[in-house]
Amino acid sequence: MTTPPTIRRRVDPRAERAARTILTGQRPRLLRLPVAATTNERRRDPRAIRDAALVQHHPRPRYDWTRDAASAGIAPMMGAAIAAAPAPPLQVIAEPAYLILAMLDRPGGEVSEHDRQVIAAARLLADAGGGAVVTVSTGSGEALAVAGSDRHVALPDGWADDYVPERRAAAASALMEALSPRHILFPDSPDGADVARRVAAAAGERLFAGVQSLGPDRATRQSAGGSLETGHRPTRLMTVAADAFAPLDGVRHEARPLDLAAPQTAGEEVLPRLGGARRLSVDPDALSLSETDFILSAGNGVTDWGSFAELGEALGATRAGSRVVCDAGHLPRERQVGASGTVVSARCYLAFGIAGAPQHLQGITGVRHVIAINTDLHAEMIKRADLSIVADAQAVMPALIRLIRERRHA
Amino acid sequence: MHNVAVLLSIGRHPVSGRARRAATDAQALEMALALRPRRLTAIHAGPATDTEALRAYLGMGLERLTLLTLPEGTDPIEPLIAHLRQFDPSVVLTGRQAEDGEGSGMLPYLIARGLDAAVVPDVVRIGPTNAPDAMAGAADLVQALPRGQRRALTATGRFVATIHPSAPPARASAFGPARRGVIEPVAAQATADLFLSDCEHRPWRPKPKLMRVKRGGSALDRLKAATESKSGKGQLLVNPTAEAGALAIYDSLVEQGMLP
Repeated sequence: MTTPPTIRRRVDPRAERAARTILTGQRPRLLRLPVAATTNERRRDPRAIRDAALVQHHPRPRYDWTRDAASAGIAPMMGAAIAAAPAPPLQVIAEPAYLILAMLDRPGGEVSEHDRQVIAAARLLADAGGGAVVTVSTGSGEALAVAGSDRHVALPDGWADDYVPERRAAAASALMEALSPRHILFPDSPDGADVARRVAAAAGERLFAGVQSLGPDRATRQSAGGSLETGHRPTRLMTVAADAFAPLDGVRHEARPLDLAAPQTAGEEVLPRLGGARRLSVDPDALSLSETDFILSAGNGVTDWGSFAELGEALGATRAGSRVVCDAGHLPRERQVGASGTVVSARCYLAFGIAGAPQHLQGITGVRHVIAINTDLHAEMIKRADLSIVADAQAVMPALIRLIRERRHA
Repeated sequence: MHNVAVLLSIGRHPVSGRARRAATDAQALEMALALRPRRLTAIHAGPATDTEALRAYLGMGLERLTLLTLPEGTDPIEPLIAHLRQFDPSVVLTGRQAEDGEGSGMLPYLIARGLDAAVVPDVVRIGPTNAPDAMAGAADLVQALPRGQRRALTATGRFVATIHPSAPPARASAFGPARRGVIEPVAAQATADLFLSDCEHRPWRPKPKLMRVKRGGSALDRLKAATESKSGKGQLLVNPTAEAGALAIYDSLVEQGMLP
């Protein structure tokens, strides 16, 4: 992988003498001119390696041991090589021996982690005997190619936003008829599990729900309230538990659109008995911290609690605080984020005046996007955040409230 | 809501393993009692073991409970459908998943198929519909979604609803009513569950947690990716004006989809 470091020539008098010796005559003769002796390839030169790792002389020497000493001089070339990193080879299954259907959720149009896990589980079954994975979801299949999908069936786009479980189930049943797949996998999410059970009830087949491990001969799941592991041959209909399979990495399949005689519309003639579905607005402060998506959090740097409450209302965010704030009684105890409070998994965390104690950072490890406002540039929270603002919370909060109201009225 | 049926199971305490009232089934009974139906039917189907745990449901204000006694290892779906057909309920309430046994969560769906009813999963509220153009017998339901969200929908005709754990909590069980309540055993015929007897069972052992493993790069890169939390990659504004700071926050929130 790495080329050997530069070699200093090692002087070996005996080897040089042997190289200069000519044995053709009556007695051995020694050549006068020097002959290059073979160098010892295994010898490393610590001084050369140290020189190559030196990135700064002044004011004190600094070494970067992570980079390869031999390639230190050709760093730009290495950068170019990384930029042109080859895509993984396209794997084509032209004549599949059988089909594995993966019915995906795709909440909000994006491929969720759970969807990728379902495809990974389907690949386990497909790769065992030369089968192909057929993904079924709304939207196009391009994003699913790198997740491991061989064929893709697109459902009507309108179904992405509407709540149409009966039509989804009818479409799945129609695909079951048309493609006769060997197995059908669903994610064990609220929507996916619901559709899976509707399909199983309609087909009169047994559903193996919440699969935890899967092989061509055996699938297991939790039963009896999680105290037993139940194993069986893989049944035709299965739901895949969350976080049981690692999503695939570094693969590329074709995700070719599958030509079908419009089985997607098979669900259209079903008269739905459930209708008028609409989202209800939820009071963000009534949600528990572990299930909310957007948290506005206060620390010791917040003194203006009036604007903090006003800001929470303007943003539609759930209010929370650090331990200090809850100890002081500014917020109730169940609003505490951190190791001794709630470990949150929100999508966005807006922190005012929080320095970032290790216990607090532990509580926000699962947060995707962190915004921190703090007066201390060297606070741990500033290092953790995706957007850090070194300013006083009491100045920024009213400005943010004004900005939100301005934009809302404009 | 004249005729409501509740399907109750025997739960299992997750730590002690003792028989108890199942948590979501108790919430289903609570919701059924809150509906004040003209006729409320509570049914349990299963082997005649641990039936004393059913008295916890009676202690919530039920007067009587039907116990369909089945042999061990049989499928309760057929006898339940046959029994429910006699009562012709407009609403059937039950928990989401059994705390003991197979726990596949299929029972409400199979019952609904047998009764030709709609299924509504994860219900937290049931009420008569407010819409003026709705058919008679339509009901407004509220469903629980992930991340604390709620969805309202209308069901027409008969429906089977499974109750979500965030529905109103079940009332406490009182001792006196639990003793006075009547459990009516009814013998029923059922077919053996061949699939379950075909499965093999063993105690569950917790599996290692799935970790995101970064491939490629040097060993040091992989170690860093596995052990270090993300830090130092964000945007940093030092002492901006309050307006500039607020604008940066606003733009970031819009980018994340948190603000319209």
